[in-house]
Amino acid sequence: MKLLKLAGFFALSVLSTVTMNTGAQAGDVVWWAPNWGEERARTLAQKYMAANAGTNIKIEVTVANGLPERVLTAMRSGAAPDIIEVQHGWVNGYAQGDLIVPLDDTIQDKEDYVKAAINYVSWNGKIWAMPYRIETHGVIYNKDHFKEAGLDPEKPPKTWDDLIAAAKALTKSGRYGFGITGGGEVGNTIFRSLPFIWMNGGDIISPDMKKAVLNSPEAVKAVEFYTNFYKQGLAPKSTLENDGLALRRLFIAGTVSAYQSGQFDLPAIQKENPNIKLGAMMIPAPAGKQTAAVLGGWSYVIPKSAKNPVESKKFLQFLNTTENQGYYTDTFPARTSSIKLPRFDDSMLKPFAEMLPYGRPVPVHKNWVKIVQAYFDGIQRILLGDQSVQKSMDEANEEIQALLN
Amino acid sequence: MRRSRFTSRSLRRPGLNRPSIFLGCIVLVFVCLFPFVWMSLSSIKVLNELYTIPPQWWPEHPTLANYHKVLFESRIPRYFLNSIIVSVAATGLALVLAVFAANGFARFRFRGRSFWQACILVGQLLPTAAIIVPLFITLRVLGLVNTYWGLILVYMIITLPLSVWMLTSYFKAIPLELEEAAIIDGASRVGILFRITLPLSLPGIVAVLVYAFITTWNEFIFALCFATDSRVKTLPIGLAEFSTEFNTDWGAVMAASMVMTVPIALLFLVFQRHFVGGLTAGATKG
Amino acid sequence: MKSNTGLVFALPALIVLFMLIAYPVFYTGWLSVTNDQGQFTGLQNFSAVLRPRVTTQALWNTLWWVAGSIFFQVLLGVTAAILLNQNFMGRALVRSIALIPWVIPGIVAATTWAWMFHTEFGIINYMLTSTGALDEPVGWLTRSNTVMPAMIAINVWKLFPFVAIMVLAGLQTIPQELYEAARMDGASYWEEVRHVMLPQIRPVITAVTLLLVIWALNAITIIYAITRGGPANRTVITPIQIFRLAFENVEFNQAAALSVMFFAVVMLIVLAYSKAFASQPGEVQ
Repeated sequence: MKLLKLAGFFALSVLSTVTMNTGAQAGDVVWWAPNWGEERARTLAQKYMAANAGTNIKIEVTVANGLPERVLTAMRSGAAPDIIEVQHGWVNGYAQGDLIVPLDDTIQDKEDYVKAAINYVSWNGKIWAMPYRIETHGVIYNKDHFKEAGLDPEKPPKTWDDLIAAAKALTKSGRYGFGITGGGEVGNTIFRSLPFIWMNGGDIISPDMKKAVLNSPEAVKAVEFYTNFYKQGLAPKSTLENDGLALRRLFIAGTVSAYQSGQFDLPAIQKENPNIKLGAMMIPAPAGKQTAAVLGGWSYVIPKSAKNPVESKKFLQFLNTTENQGYYTDTFPARTSSIKLPRFDDSMLKPFAEMLPYGRPVPVHKNWVKIVQAYFDGIQRILLGDQSVQKSMDEANEEIQALLN
Repeated sequence: MRRSRFTSRSLRRPGLNRPSIFLGCIVLVFVCLFPFVWMSLSSIKVLNELYTIPPQWWPEHPTLANYHKVLFESRIPRYFLNSIIVSVAATGLALVLAVFAANGFARFRFRGRSFWQACILVGQLLPTAAIIVPLFITLRVLGLVNTYWGLILVYMIITLPLSVWMLTSYFKAIPLELEEAAIIDGASRVGILFRITLPLSLPGIVAVLVYAFITTWNEFIFALCFATDSRVKTLPIGLAEFSTEFNTDWGAVMAASMVMTVPIALLFLVFQRHFVGGLTAGATKG
Repeated sequence: MKSNTGLVFALPALIVLFMLIAYPVFYTGWLSVTNDQGQFTGLQNFSAVLRPRVTTQALWNTLWWVAGSIFFQVLLGVTAAILLNQNFMGRALVRSIALIPWVIPGIVAATTWAWMFHTEFGIINYMLTSTGALDEPVGWLTRSNTVMPAMIAINVWKLFPFVAIMVLAGLQTIPQELYEAARMDGASYWEEVRHVMLPQIRPVITAVTLLLVIWALNAITIIYAITRGGPANRTVITPIQIFRLAFENVEFNQAAALSVMFFAVVMLIVLAYSKAFASQPGEVQ
């Protein structure tokens, strides 16, 4: 039995050497900030600490890849940081899972925030996150391509018919007039196709969230409008494998002449191909109807297991003053007073800013992610040529209805 | 010359003929290197040469800017160090435990052996998505979140099952007569393990080492969730840090991948030349 | 030797694994029979997760994915190992090169392949069209009949080096006497492969195959990074479905239920396998 003892001793010694601990100290506020805003985050943290001795803001950098997994794992394990930056769309899942605390007492002058952003992060009569960044898509286009196709680059299309005509004129000699997405993460295609359904008076589910309405004539017509760009050869052959990033690269390579995206694409295009003369327009709507867009962006949440919620709330109020929010956001701020800052006074940004009032939040439903997955599968079936638009949307509608019951 | 080493043996083994070896190697090298070459060329391209239609093989303006960025302007060097510490420790621990366990499974018949052997694999049978949360809770209770030890333990339990199974199969291939002779000479069980079994199965041990090291070196999702502090983050996280929400610095990712990949391949090259080759040649004579 | 000495040798590994894995296993089992408020719900999660059409489709895709991957990984891996076990100049170098696909981080390999397969940007289509092998680019990742084979090809490329290294180690441990005995009987090279090498490395191949099955059943990096299960669920496999349930839909209970079913099926395979494994010769009698 000497061996048995030896074995037990060995196993224990492996596990017992592990007693060190580098936990956060009291007075620390641990803030998970994404790597793209790291520098600005550090500047703000320094400022706050200089004014509030005794509080230590500890920044831990997050990355886009695997962020939802990392956030959920930390929250569900009860070892979350104090402040996390997340996309608006994730907030209601956390709220319904009882993983974050409401922030009604933290948001000051709520009236100053864009209403759609507040609606996005509200559930059950409470506000669960502090939106600080909002954005919508517009259409980015190549002015030289417009000229070569005999179109006036200063008068971009305004209606669906205009857009189809322009795309047809632009599509020639290896170029595609209007790029759409049909691959990658679900969100890419939701952001680009759902607005067309909304503009046409349709929706995926009814406002009371009881009924799936995806196979209504309005919705089907919009989906047909969207998928036809590919079906008629006006969007690249690679559409089914393209996400927003691939579209941008095709645009930079001069293969796509116009596509929907947010203003975050503009600096990247200018950097990689300074020769492109960029144009931006609002997303065309059916004649006589209003345009629409999905509101995107980021919010701060405080997890339920945060160690220092009181100090965190105070710090959040500091981060969301008119000036600091305007400084920190990558795209547009969620406060209307911040949008007036000089930083946002840029002619290239104008169409995107004009789109903001038409931005809508997606419905706050428990099964929303599955609902859009069913819708996205339907779009892919159409693009693959498996089914007609009507048949595919009928099938998706049936699946979505099952998710609503 | 190289060949004289082999001709000195009593009987020369027949082998594949030269042309088929040559052809086989060409195919193998091509298959393995094709995407790798594409990656390495990407790492020395300037931004506007990366995505062109049609694609472009050779960079017109080769640049080392991406390597400069990776080595001097990012946290990659620190993460490299972290990765080495974590991978070496996890590999070492897993190997020690696996050698004993494999010896038990390969050389002894005991009640419930196949059951226990299956038990070793239990941890591998649950999808990552299922075990990551409870594993995090376990680490939290042990106070190991954001420590080297946390990652080391997690990686040890990831690599241990396979190591045990592979070593068991290598040990089984060693002829029993050698060990029986040693028992008659009065050697202890542990003595036999270290003096006979291990030296004879050295190639197998190296293979398991390589497996454990590569697995821990490249692991992403556990590292992402269990090491949120820059002091313990590992290389795969460093790769992800070259991406932002809507953009990826592809040249830098490729350069960083080279920095991650090439040293391991070189290490293996040196390793087997001086270590594996020599010892197996000796062992076959015993 | 029918004592417990063997178990004692295995004990440290078993104890360490037990200490870290017991709780996750228990936790998953518990989640699968409760709701998100922690109330016991019996088999509700199981029936909820089995209902959607995608579950069946994922199951079939998983079968294809596993069978296709394993077959080619083992075939190519063993062939490469036999080749690399020959004596030739530069052998060490070729062995190291063969390791490269396996060393490249999974996510980078996946992105690189997605890029190379791309209809417009892809170097593969470019080479095939510019040499005249194809008239026009093929949408490898966008056509329903090529997307799964492409995923399997990438997975095979990534992991056949693992098989090669493991089998090569097995070949290296074959005692010289066996070859000499075969040669006395005048065996040719191929007879040597059939009668000496393959029987000797059978335990290694058995173990490697089982481990590959387990890996393939858990591998989501390649598919998730390239197609996310699309287009229209053509490449969705059960682990991706579990991942989506847990991290995209925040339904950890249903994810746990699916994991438990998954676990049960794989456990059966493993038990059957380890019985076969145990019946092989090689232990102290």
